[in-house]
Amino acid sequence: MVGSPHKVSQVAQTPNRARVRRASRLAPWIKTLTPWLFISPFVIIFSVFTAFPLFFSAYLSFQEWNPVAGLSSMQFVGLENYRTALDDPWMWKSLYNTAWLAVVSGIPQHVIAIPVAYLLVTAVRAGVRQVYTATFFVPFITSTVAISLIFYTIYSGNAGILNQWLLAASKWPVFSWGLGWVEEAMPIRWLSSSDLIKPSIAFVVIWKYTGFNIVIYSAGFLTVSKDLYDAGKVDGCNAWQQFWHIALPMIRPFAFFAVTLTIIGNLQMFEEPFVLTSGDSGGVGQSGLTASYYLYLVGWEWLEMGAAAAISWVLFLFIAIATSVHFYFNGRKGMGGDR
Amino acid sequence: MKKTIASSLAAGLLAAMALPSLADGIRVDGFPPFDTHFDKQVNVFNEAHPDIAVTYQMNEHGDHHKKLTTNLATQSGAGDVVIVDVSFVGAFINAGGFVNLSDAPYNAGQFKDGFVSYAWNQGQGSDGNQYGIPIDIGPGVMFYRRDVLESVGAEIDGVISDWNSYIEYGRKLKDKGVYLIADAGDVARIIVRTTLQEGEGLFFDADGNSLVTSDRFDNAFTIAKQIRDEGLDGQIGAWTGEWYDGFKNGTVATQLSGAWLLGHLQNWMAPDTAGKWGASNLPGGIYGSWGGSFLAIPAQSENPAQAWEFIKYLTTQPDPQIDSLKDLGAFPVLLETYGDAAFDEPLDFLAGQKARRLFADVAKKVPAVTPMKGDLIAEDIVMNGALAEVLNDGKDIEQALKDADRLLKRRIK
Amino acid sequence: MTGVATKTPRKSAHRIASPRMARLATHGLMIAGVLVTIFPFVWVALMATHSRSEIYSSPPPFWLGDNLAENYAKLINVMPFWTVLFNSLWVSVAGTAGAVLFCSMCAYGFFAYEFKGKNIVFGIMIASMMVPPVLGLIPFFLTVRFLGLLDTHLAIWLPGIANAFGIFLIRQYMVQSISRDLLDAAKVDGASDFRIFWSVVLPLIKPALATLGIVMFIGLWNNFLTPLIVLSSPDKYVLTLALRSVQSIANSPWGAIMLGTFLSMLPLLIAFLFFSRQMMAGLTAGAVKG
Repeated sequence: MVGSPHKVSQVAQTPNRARVRRASRLAPWIKTLTPWLFISPFVIIFSVFTAFPLFFSAYLSFQEWNPVAGLSSMQFVGLENYRTALDDPWMWKSLYNTAWLAVVSGIPQHVIAIPVAYLLVTAVRAGVRQVYTATFFVPFITSTVAISLIFYTIYSGNAGILNQWLLAASKWPVFSWGLGWVEEAMPIRWLSSSDLIKPSIAFVVIWKYTGFNIVIYSAGFLTVSKDLYDAGKVDGCNAWQQFWHIALPMIRPFAFFAVTLTIIGNLQMFEEPFVLTSGDSGGVGQSGLTASYYLYLVGWEWLEMGAAAAISWVLFLFIAIATSVHFYFNGRKGMGGDR
Repeated sequence: MKKTIASSLAAGLLAAMALPSLADGIRVDGFPPFDTHFDKQVNVFNEAHPDIAVTYQMNEHGDHHKKLTTNLATQSGAGDVVIVDVSFVGAFINAGGFVNLSDAPYNAGQFKDGFVSYAWNQGQGSDGNQYGIPIDIGPGVMFYRRDVLESVGAEIDGVISDWNSYIEYGRKLKDKGVYLIADAGDVARIIVRTTLQEGEGLFFDADGNSLVTSDRFDNAFTIAKQIRDEGLDGQIGAWTGEWYDGFKNGTVATQLSGAWLLGHLQNWMAPDTAGKWGASNLPGGIYGSWGGSFLAIPAQSENPAQAWEFIKYLTTQPDPQIDSLKDLGAFPVLLETYGDAAFDEPLDFLAGQKARRLFADVAKKVPAVTPMKGDLIAEDIVMNGALAEVLNDGKDIEQALKDADRLLKRRIK
Repeated sequence: MTGVATKTPRKSAHRIASPRMARLATHGLMIAGVLVTIFPFVWVALMATHSRSEIYSSPPPFWLGDNLAENYAKLINVMPFWTVLFNSLWVSVAGTAGAVLFCSMCAYGFFAYEFKGKNIVFGIMIASMMVPPVLGLIPFFLTVRFLGLLDTHLAIWLPGIANAFGIFLIRQYMVQSISRDLLDAAKVDGASDFRIFWSVVLPLIKPALATLGIVMFIGLWNNFLTPLIVLSSPDKYVLTLALRSVQSIANSPWGAIMLGTFLSMLPLLIAFLFFSRQMMAGLTAGAVKG
């Protein structure tokens, strides 16, 4: 009703001009709507399949719930689950393990992947490059069953391949000075002594994901145009300087992306520790118990879904903090925020 | 793309609508190797019940229980009959997701006396009603290498008379480079499980108080630690290549296990060692069990009557029970079957020993353990966590049990 | 600080080392990497030719066995192998295609426009990646049941599309490779928004699309948890789930499982080779920003 005088005046104008006017008044709407048209298909699917589980888990973290008793058996317990989680030594142990594994298995992935990707792009012919990249990628596609079988065979104490190689190497004069301790230490129990579990897991994680990072970084280095290198050469850059001053800054968005993924992925690490400790509550002394592993244990094996939900939000908080720190220091350049 | 989504959606809706048409048949959810068993039994069952079509869906053991948890949580999607492993049965049957089989029209109580009593009791909720019917059990025995025993001039009855003589046997073997047992942890696990007072749970007394710091645990851990510290065990994990090698090569002298291990040894673990093995009671005069499975009907099932017919067939009829012994090596739970000729058959793999008779005798003597709410947590914290710290990291037993006790109290209120 | 001191020797070293030596060193390094990474693949292939007791002997055999035919017969006996392989293909291809399309559209929305709520929506999506997925199974089941999608393949691949990883990856690639001027030029030419996205932007971000494609394909292919709770007809199973479903700690036909595992890795390798051509294609010089 309020707008009616306005409408009247509009109608009074000639049809032609009115159409022009209307179009120009619609234009801002179209402009506002366009980005939403692009993002809406994704956002809708996302809301249906991701948002609801998130709300569910948030709600659950304030309930006591044994899932096998059905949805109706939930009982509101307030902050009790969070209190239990923060007061739980296994929780803190698992957070420590998570952080340790994230750092030790995370950094080498990139320290190896960046130079290898650079070499692949700059020093290897395209055809051969494809063969190498495909091979480096193989661990990423290897199924968990195969990984557990293979690494059990490698790490096993009495007849494991790793121990046999170490023994053989220690008897070889070239290495014997450095490996004299090996025979004494045999059999080394890579997966069943508390101080070796984490390094053993870290190696598998590095082995599995470095190839993936090589692919990301290769795609990045390939966006650096030849002209830039040529310009560098004219300015007298040597090979190292080309890498450090020209190529590296150019792949910043890729590095930012890859590091973000590693942070988030590593802090949620579950499968590798779970498989390598045979799902046995985190291995000796819970040395291989990561936070995700622990909340799996609490939720699916101890059947305390509410408590597990609380743990998952505590873990979420840690991941959010770690990611925020990363975004704070690297985000401006990494996200291309200066555009 | 959109067209695909639309047509898939339509297909999905059609499939959803088509589901009720399965109503005249039942589905069994379980894990392998039960599929092998059902391949044969469903046909026989259908001779008497041609109107009940039976399908079955198998998943890996852990996956199956995860799916079952989801189905019970959401009260939909479960089979009409589900198989529940003994390690989950306590937690699952007390949660109200299964049909009470003690009530009419099932009246499961009428079959009670036909079953091995400890297994029957494991399927009971804390309200005394029957929710799970045992289908197979794992009476605990000791398998041992006869050739190793002879090589040190020992007698089996002497070795198992108590834990000290068992350890003494290990010391003799050590000089020959043979391990007494693959993993000393097995010793602690079985002692804890077998020396209970009447009415106690494994980890909690009738009032729910933790028993973890009791002598039972201290004693079990001490014996296991002694075996480990003297270097008598191989520190070999179960179901690994090294484990099988120990059986093949005779570098491991004994294995405490459920009777079902026999089938595995014979069929694929160490078939070439036939005749070199024997079976005996557990050392120290104790009786215990390893493993076992139960059948239950989810309350959400729309065909509980048909489901019950199939359960009755599998568990209360001697033929399928004996078949499962012969085909899977799964030990029968039905007392009646123990009179079958199969139980007096000499077993070539065990050098002609009539071991099934021994298994049956053990089964009758296994004490009942009342399942408690926190068992799954305690199992992880005490029997995985604390025990590993004591054996592998040399942690003090009393301290380890105290820490475990504190952890447990914090988690279970 | 050591830059000045080390500069000269490094330069001279560079001069001394012949390109041939450098090439040799590069390939030596690469081949060492190849050996470490290809090992499991070769190993699984070898295991596929052995019987169960051979696989579980220690040390396991590192040569070809003679049980391949037997393992194959067993494999197709314990599961409808080719059916579940086809199911896996369908689920993975459909989900990958959907993800590549919708993620790139969404990423373009975030990249090319300023609008209210942009940072919030993007932030929520990144944050959703940080929530551990372990507990999502039960609410996911409720959602699928609510939509009436139980026992359908749609319920497996459709949710895979909504992957925050995808928009993040593609947005990052756009930041690097699409210049603002290019978009403005296209707009001046009178191209519609969608046309700019479809004909100008998409061809330029092929490497990113290929990277997302391969990651999605692998993720969908290896996913067994949602199929586990969604599917109730064994003939709708996907390959990973079917392979798991015949495993038990004690009674599995491991030779057949290893053969199945090996065969299940092959499509992934083929998919990788297919996508990696696009991934490593590089860009036409003119379109590159910077």
